[in-house]
Amino acid sequence: MKRTLLSMAITVAVIGGIQAAPLPTTIKVGSAESLTGDNASYGVSIRQGIELGIEEMNASGLLGSAKLQLVIYDDKADKQEGISVFNKLINDDKVVTIIGPTLSGTAFACVPIAQKAGVPVIGTSLTAVGITAMGNYVFRDSLPQAAVIPGTLAAVAAKYKPKKAALLFQADQEYSKSEADVYKASLAKAGIELVASESYSKGDADFRTQLSKLAAKKPDIFVFCSLIGEAIPVLQQAREIGITQPILGGNGFNNPNVIKNGKEAAEGLIVGASWFVESKNSRSKAFVASYTKKYGSAPDQFAVQGYTAVQILATAIKSAGSADRAAIRDSLAKIKNLDTALGTFSFDENRDPVHPSTPITVKGGKYALFE
Amino acid sequence: MDLSLFQDPIFLAQNLVDGLSRGALYGVYAIGFTLIFGVLDILNLAHAATFMWCAFAGYLVMAEAELPLPLGLAAAMLAGAAIALLLELLAFRPLRREGADKLSAMISSIGASLILVSLAEAIFGAQTRRFPNSVLDPKPHFIGGAGGVRISNAQILILIASLVLMVAMGLFIRRTRMGKAIRAVAANQKAARLLGIDVNGVIVVTFLVAGALAGAAGILVALLTNNIVPGMGSQIELRGLAVVILGGMGNIEGAVVGGFILGLVETFTIAYVPGGSDIKDAIVFFILFIILLVKPNGIMGKLKADRA
Repeated sequence: MKRTLLSMAITVAVIGGIQAAPLPTTIKVGSAESLTGDNASYGVSIRQGIELGIEEMNASGLLGSAKLQLVIYDDKADKQEGISVFNKLINDDKVVTIIGPTLSGTAFACVPIAQKAGVPVIGTSLTAVGITAMGNYVFRDSLPQAAVIPGTLAAVAAKYKPKKAALLFQADQEYSKSEADVYKASLAKAGIELVASESYSKGDADFRTQLSKLAAKKPDIFVFCSLIGEAIPVLQQAREIGITQPILGGNGFNNPNVIKNGKEAAEGLIVGASWFVESKNSRSKAFVASYTKKYGSAPDQFAVQGYTAVQILATAIKSAGSADRAAIRDSLAKIKNLDTALGTFSFDENRDPVHPSTPITVKGGKYALFE
Repeated sequence: MDLSLFQDPIFLAQNLVDGLSRGALYGVYAIGFTLIFGVLDILNLAHAATFMWCAFAGYLVMAEAELPLPLGLAAAMLAGAAIALLLELLAFRPLRREGADKLSAMISSIGASLILVSLAEAIFGAQTRRFPNSVLDPKPHFIGGAGGVRISNAQILILIASLVLMVAMGLFIRRTRMGKAIRAVAANQKAARLLGIDVNGVIVVTFLVAGALAGAAGILVALLTNNIVPGMGSQIELRGLAVVILGGMGNIEGAVVGGFILGLVETFTIAYVPGGSDIKDAIVFFILFIILLVKPNGIMGKLKADRA
């Protein structure tokens, strides 16, 4: 009798032990973001979102006694640096997943390394075409340009009924070029004629000649695909030389600095955003409140995407019941209809995000819904 | 290829205005750069970082302390002179004393530039800054009414200021004793010393003047582009080098002429060449290459060759 009880107890303990298969006490989450340089405003935003996400995840006990730990390095928006940082995170820090990098251009250089090493990557600001095509370990929660642009353009077309458009983009930057291509295709599909297209290169600060060329063709709307460093001067110089038509900005314009430093020139700007700070979603409102409390300023789209990436990752780890890289990858791919601050979130079969987007405009010095 | 642009006289005039103002900026920047080269035979690659710091100095004076433009310009030129003096005392003179070669001095200036830029990044961060509208009204004037040629207050200021500076520099170099002393040191340092010229003193004056010019350039560029960031020197640095080579190393008139040529070529390339904005750098350097094939010492010859 005793022996039977003992063997039963042992069996239960063993089975129980196998099922509990505890997660490691510390789960290292890696991140590579642009923390210095022109694109730091995006990178720092994302980092703050991630840090808040990890803090809340650990406090919530979703992963039991396991705690997420962030290991983050500056990718300096440089391809070489991105490669070096990724290697470090994968081989030295042995993280379970990498969130980042900030720019699509950097990503094309360093993400293949993670794909090859079997480390999942979650992009929170990568919107260029071809990101998730790099491999089945690559995910993103930043709506790709091909997803946001047609919707934004449709909203603008409905209001202004433009027949002609002019485009300005940065020729030697992957994100900008990709966005310009998507816009060209969307404009054609919407039946709007692209009457002029000009570009500039890295380091340019005076765009007036290109803008004058665009304006000379008398378009009904202007489309600018710029990163934040150029976005503000482009806007200012456009208004300065007398452009009064509506201006549609790309994803790079989704940055509160556009309003802060662009001032009057930003008024009336239209941007296709994946998220809006005044969103009525209850998780979003809670996030905005905690973020503002912790950092003293309101979050932007990049912060909420960083924050949501953590939620997605933690959910995946919990479902997988493991911090194994391959298990996490499989679990991430299965995420469907997760309730997040971005709305109801799913990954599609290409590991791109599916959630509603919002065109917004700058009105009275603040972002407001565009309608 | 869109031929209608070629027939538009307003567009042509516009590009002349834009090209000349751009060229004037390059000229002011290049004079300081070429002066140091002419006198010391070294490329001061910290000139761009000095230029950037002066823009920030102007920003601090005009945006933070809210003082008017003339004071901001004066502050920038003083800052430029001060930084240039520091460069001479810390980065160049010690090497000269040891009899180091010109290459070491150039490398030293690269190091100084890195330090200056990193300091600016640490102190000011990556955020773009601009002067407030109170400094200079950014609303442009349209000559001949709304469809006419556009010229902004910044461009007017640039054209006037650069002309004044260039004329002043010319007079300074040709008509004053110090100017003569500078030319003597540029021609032959040893001989100048033997003639009783205080060579180190002359070098100090050269740096002060070059720095002040970098300061003026910094403010003028900042007024035109409204984009004050620690990295703003990198774009003009390459242009400055091209202008200096184009005009003749050490030649001040050459820097002026070279600046205007570069500004016009750049603007006309963007305006008239299809895909011009992508290849403007290639075109600028291609023209530089052609000119050097014909005139290896630059359009107006080296300062030294003049004197020989």
